[in-house]
Amino acid sequence: MSTPALELTGLKKSFGKAEIIRGIDLSIGKAERHAIIGPNGAGKSTLFNLITARFPPTSGTVKLHGESLAGLEPFQINRKGLSRSFQITNIFPKMTVFENVRCALLWPQGYKYSFWNLVNYKRDLTEGADAILEQINLLERRDLPAGTLSYAEQRALEIGITIAGGANVIMLDEPTAGMSNTETDYITDLILKVTEGKTLIMVEHDMSVVFGLADRISVLVYGEIIATGKPADVRADPRVQEAYLGAALEAEH
Amino acid sequence: MELILVNLIDGLVTGLLLFMLSAGLTLIFSMMGVLNFAHASFYMLGAYFAYQISIALGFWMGLLLAPIIVGVLGAGVERYGLRRVHQYGHVPELIFTFGLALLIEELVQFIWGKNQMPYNVPEILNFTAFSIAGNSIPAFKIFMIFVSVGIFVGLLFVLTKTRVGMIIQAALSYPRTVEALGHNVPLIFMGVFGVGTALAGLAGVIAGPVLGTFPGMAFVLGSIVFVTIVIGGLGSLWGALVASLLIGWLTTFAKSYNVRMEDILNGIGFSTPENMGESALRDLWTITSPQIADILPYILMVLILIFRPAGLFGKRHQ
Amino acid sequence: MTDQITTDPSKPSQRMRAGSMTITVLPWVAGAIALAVMPAIFTSNSALTIMNQMWITVVFALAYNMLLGQGGMLSFGHAVYAGVGGFACMHIMNMSDFFAAMPLPVLPIFGGLFGMGMAMIVGSFSTRNAGTVFAMISLGVGELIAACSVIIVAFFGGEEGISGDRTYAMPFFGNEFLQQIDVYYLTSFWVLVSAILMYLWSRTPVGRMANAVRDNPERAEFLGYSARWVRFYSFTASGFFAGVAGGLFAINYEILTEENLNTASSGVILLVTFLGGVGFFFGPIIGAIAFTLLQTVLSLQTELWAFYAGVLFLATVMFFPGGLAGLLMMHVPVFKLGHARSLVMPYLKTLLPAAIGLLGLAALVEMTFHFRHAALGDDEMTVFWTTFDTHTILPWIIAGVVTLVGLGIARATAPSLKEAWSAANTAPPVTTAKGGAA
Repeated sequence: MSTPALELTGLKKSFGKAEIIRGIDLSIGKAERHAIIGPNGAGKSTLFNLITARFPPTSGTVKLHGESLAGLEPFQINRKGLSRSFQITNIFPKMTVFENVRCALLWPQGYKYSFWNLVNYKRDLTEGADAILEQINLLERRDLPAGTLSYAEQRALEIGITIAGGANVIMLDEPTAGMSNTETDYITDLILKVTEGKTLIMVEHDMSVVFGLADRISVLVYGEIIATGKPADVRADPRVQEAYLGAALEAEH
Repeated sequence: MELILVNLIDGLVTGLLLFMLSAGLTLIFSMMGVLNFAHASFYMLGAYFAYQISIALGFWMGLLLAPIIVGVLGAGVERYGLRRVHQYGHVPELIFTFGLALLIEELVQFIWGKNQMPYNVPEILNFTAFSIAGNSIPAFKIFMIFVSVGIFVGLLFVLTKTRVGMIIQAALSYPRTVEALGHNVPLIFMGVFGVGTALAGLAGVIAGPVLGTFPGMAFVLGSIVFVTIVIGGLGSLWGALVASLLIGWLTTFAKSYNVRMEDILNGIGFSTPENMGESALRDLWTITSPQIADILPYILMVLILIFRPAGLFGKRHQ
Repeated sequence: MTDQITTDPSKPSQRMRAGSMTITVLPWVAGAIALAVMPAIFTSNSALTIMNQMWITVVFALAYNMLLGQGGMLSFGHAVYAGVGGFACMHIMNMSDFFAAMPLPVLPIFGGLFGMGMAMIVGSFSTRNAGTVFAMISLGVGELIAACSVIIVAFFGGEEGISGDRTYAMPFFGNEFLQQIDVYYLTSFWVLVSAILMYLWSRTPVGRMANAVRDNPERAEFLGYSARWVRFYSFTASGFFAGVAGGLFAINYEILTEENLNTASSGVILLVTFLGGVGFFFGPIIGAIAFTLLQTVLSLQTELWAFYAGVLFLATVMFFPGGLAGLLMMHVPVFKLGHARSLVMPYLKTLLPAAIGLLGLAALVEMTFHFRHAALGDDEMTVFWTTFDTHTILPWIIAGVVTLVGLGIARATAPSLKEAWSAANTAPPVTTAKGGAA
């Protein structure tokens, strides 16, 4: 068996006394589209933040292509080929749409901290960024400040920035949150298109998106994964049904 | 031994004075995220106002009125200046308070001129409280200690035991929630800013007669106050207290004991070079502790920042 | 090779690039010509001195804006890097053998290197954070080094500072820089070179990422860049150019003292930069020119010039956070729409009375100051070429009326200016747009 793209073992996280993530073991294969679902407050975003070292885990390990990420900073993890988007749109609002994407290309294309290259005269950067813009259908918005885009467009740009660097593991945190149906369809198609052949891990609330996209699904409830498997299996799992139903009942009180 | 006691008292006075400033600064910072650069300017205004009032109504009325006036001014600055700049972000806020500090200094020079004001210790406190081995401790210093400790206890009481204090503490961490609960958060901010500046004003009233009332007084103390809260950890009230006392004692002891760098270096095994005049390091050898007393806080700050970036009591954050 | 030159106008990236060369080169050529011609227009020695001061401030302010405007780092102690660079240059001037083998125009590079070295040392721990913490550290370090200047006498020269003589350098094509005009051209050369280099820096990967880190450090981290290192590189580069400014100062004045390092100087450069506008590359240039002129003119006229500068600064922060450059650039859309002319009259109607009112207010301020602080018996003062007795009531009434009337008219006409402004900023209706597209 080949090494999984991402492997979590015994991952735990506590904030003070509250244990938010209580021991997660999960293995996601190469080129797999994996969705993490679960009721509100289950710790999905926390799990994302643990993987990408936004917070340090209390215990447990995260391995990317078999290599431990312990002690690495977010930027170092990114350089290893793991890229993520955020639940709350996280772009550079004052820069143009084009520049947002170009910034995402700089490190992967090897420009690093160089001060002897002029970005405007680099064909690979300009064309690379334009290609991404074309992919996410934002070429027409190219020279507008990113902050002036519509919400759906900003989400699309966020995805564009996330995939631009060519990372092979993409993590999307609720890419369709707060969108209308048409916008959701647009983003879903977009995700399908841009993550072709890559490992995708996404947190999502919208079940139609999840079942349309994911090869496998994990259900996270109160910091634990209660089920992992093919969409149809997960849907049929009584524990999942109970967890969702239970959470829905609790929410009513 | 006696000298140590005298220095302990002197350092305590300096430290508590620093704390009166750093406490207000810390409160304002942790609530609004604004480091009020003009904080020490309000301290200066306190001294000048108290001087002006003391001419007409005597020291005690100055002690009572000057902090109130300064507090009202401070609240006005928050309401009409800072709140406006707030929308542009933290850096413009900081620049705003920096400009305010410049302007207040110019304003003070405009009104009172560049010379030191004859603002003196009141007659009734102008005696020696007691003496230790020939070193007399003036009553005013004891008075300063009492006032600042009183303020500290009062502040602690208000913050931990009263409803207003609860709301303030909650507003520190969850301004949105507190606002949703029906409390007027902008008003709380204005109030905290007013109280913080009033505290600074009070510090000015009692420090003016001892440290001198002149246009540069804000700047002399101001940068030390900033250093204090960086050392203590931005936003930590306990950190501010500990750092204030630490700096108070550090500078006082450095000034009163003449420790020479040459002796320290000899002590750890370096021998004094023969030809001091030509050595590039000659200044290092001739440094004495009173000489560097005033920069010790800065050195301490740099060391703290290198080894414990969040400050003594600061929370580590990413 | 040929396919690199062909441009496809349908591709926006190439459309951009075709025009951008002339747009980027033109201002620099204009600047170079202006620098070269200025001494022919303003020939007096004092004018040269002022211009030298101006250009040095330009370099320093641009270096400062690499931090504040482009990197989002507010420094309260940036004079240290200019100062250290300057002091280093003074010491080099005093190393007779070494200095005699070096042409003077090379000296600012050493200033830059020392400024950069200093910035690397301080930056190694100060750039961990931006924002308030960075500002506080910069203040503390600034104070520390300024205080050291009286202790480390060997380097900073104590209270007298360090002085030297630039003419001991190796003659540069026979020129020994005895004349003010020679120094002017040396300074101008360095201003141009530094400004171009700093502009180019903002176009490099690390320069672009400085903007990204300023706006959203977290996102930048998830794009593979360490926010801290990006800040560190910006800080180092800024230290270099500040050091160059310090070196130019050393060449011009041939003396450096504690004043070049202290927080007051750091405050001035913040003021200059912010006044000019941190949002645009050319902002600090405008700021440096405007501030130097203001300082020169006002400080001759009034003791209170620092007070006015403070008021101006505070007003800028509160009402025009974009500074002068922001104000100018606000008008670009109006010009593009061809509506600039419609704004002239409303501007005159509001700004002229406002200016007169402010002058009246300034007169009141001056009179109050004179009334309070003039020596006993010295009742006469001169404001705006008029001499009068401040202890009589008439001048107060006149100044008061001028102030009230001026500001009153400005206030009354302000709404119509606002209207004219929004009208000028509105794009023409669709019908004209159709004609334009054909």
